[in-house]
Amino acid sequence: MNKIFALTKKELHSYFSSPIAYIILIATLSLFNILFFMIVDQNREVSLRDVFQVMEFMFIFIIPLLTMKLLSEEKANGTMEFLLTSPLTPSMIVLGKYLSMLIFYSLLIGLTSVYYFIVEYFGEPDPYSILSGYIGIWLEGALFIAIGLLTSSWTRNQIIAAMTSYLILFFLYFSITFTKYFTGFAENFLIQVSTRTHLENFATGIITTSDVIYYLTGILLCLVLTRVSIDHRLWQ
Amino acid sequence: MSILTVEHISKSFGEFKAIDDVSFEINQGDIVGFLGKNGAGKTTLMRMITSFLTASSGRIFIDGDDITKHSLRIREKIGYLPETPPLYPTMTVFQYLKFSAEIKGVPSKKQAVKITKVLEECDLEHVKLKSISMLSKGYKQRVGIAQAIIHEPKLLILDEPTSGLDPIQIQQVLALINNQREQRTVLMSTHTLPEIEKIAQRILMIRSGKLVLDESLETLLNCRPQPLSLEQIFFDYHQNKAPSHNASCYS
Repeated sequence: MNKIFALTKKELHSYFSSPIAYIILIATLSLFNILFFMIVDQNREVSLRDVFQVMEFMFIFIIPLLTMKLLSEEKANGTMEFLLTSPLTPSMIVLGKYLSMLIFYSLLIGLTSVYYFIVEYFGEPDPYSILSGYIGIWLEGALFIAIGLLTSSWTRNQIIAAMTSYLILFFLYFSITFTKYFTGFAENFLIQVSTRTHLENFATGIITTSDVIYYLTGILLCLVLTRVSIDHRLWQ
Repeated sequence: MSILTVEHISKSFGEFKAIDDVSFEINQGDIVGFLGKNGAGKTTLMRMITSFLTASSGRIFIDGDDITKHSLRIREKIGYLPETPPLYPTMTVFQYLKFSAEIKGVPSKKQAVKITKVLEECDLEHVKLKSISMLSKGYKQRVGIAQAIIHEPKLLILDEPTSGLDPIQIQQVLALINNQREQRTVLMSTHTLPEIEKIAQRILMIRSGKLVLDESLETLLNCRPQPLSLEQIFFDYHQNKAPSHNASCYS
């Protein structure tokens, strides 16, 4: 466990010792703040449902920028050889890296919790539906990070890692819009695979087992595939 | 006693055979010079010993354990410096060594002592709070060696540790490696032949993936009527003048 935390600490240090982390934090929060005020002003309701859906869309673009360097940079710098010849298992490397990004993402999401207090000032929001929305957006980000970590394990090129993440995330987000061209199993598959189907429930205050399983299975699958990719040195 | 045993190791990348049926043993406490032209297979073989690459066939034992069966335990016994020192430029020397100690399983109570020891041993105390990106190549190499010995491994594997250094830096790095003699076994690849002559007890030479020479340095240098330099022997082996594998004397 100590080795996993050492990797997490190293990763967070690397983020916060460069301007990237601060730029992403400030730029994302500024964008969210503008969108939050626009949505609340337009809807005139004490709910964050639409805010969560906008956040989901924005994270498709933001998270690959955060995750693209997780493993690809180690390979490009030759430090992957250092990690893999140290007494670390590939699972420790995967968990250490994943945890670091999850902490960074939680900080980002945590800073938006001020939105609840703002809407509470103007009315009486349902705290449970807002909490459920936050759980949903957190799980969705955790899934996006796992996807980003996986694509970063395939290549030593950060741009390729980010582009591959975009492709997967676009598919997961937009798949539901193509349901009108399909019927039966294919239609059902596109609905079930889409992140929008699952986040919508969370955003409206409904937490279902199937939605939670969707995110957890996706995260676990990506982490296992990342481990396999490292184990087999797929980038070589 | 043998610390490293390599048995009939081969490694292929597609059609290309990078290592071809190589076998040798290294005894505890030796400093072994691993020679060969660029592309001969030195790095590939070292990467297999450190379990970064898996062999296509053959077996490797470190301290009696098969590396495919006890990979994690074995990596605790190995210190490895790849050709390019694996450093994180944004960290300070101290932060990097602390991170190295943590991932190499040095107990937290002993970390401060071990870090102080390697800082002293590698003469890095005065730069310990400097960012690695600000260090010269010689210092970076010494930081690379410091991370390789921080967990006190039994076997130290160094891939061209003097590459790209100026003559003074080469002397400093070789002195540092020579000081490891009493505590651990060292296998190092190098092109700095006159210098390796001063510290190695044994020479392994590889050509096109095959081991063509495995001999004690003393035997090698005294095998002719007049003493030969290691450089001359290297040229002879690579220009096919030497008669056969493992010939301790040739005319």
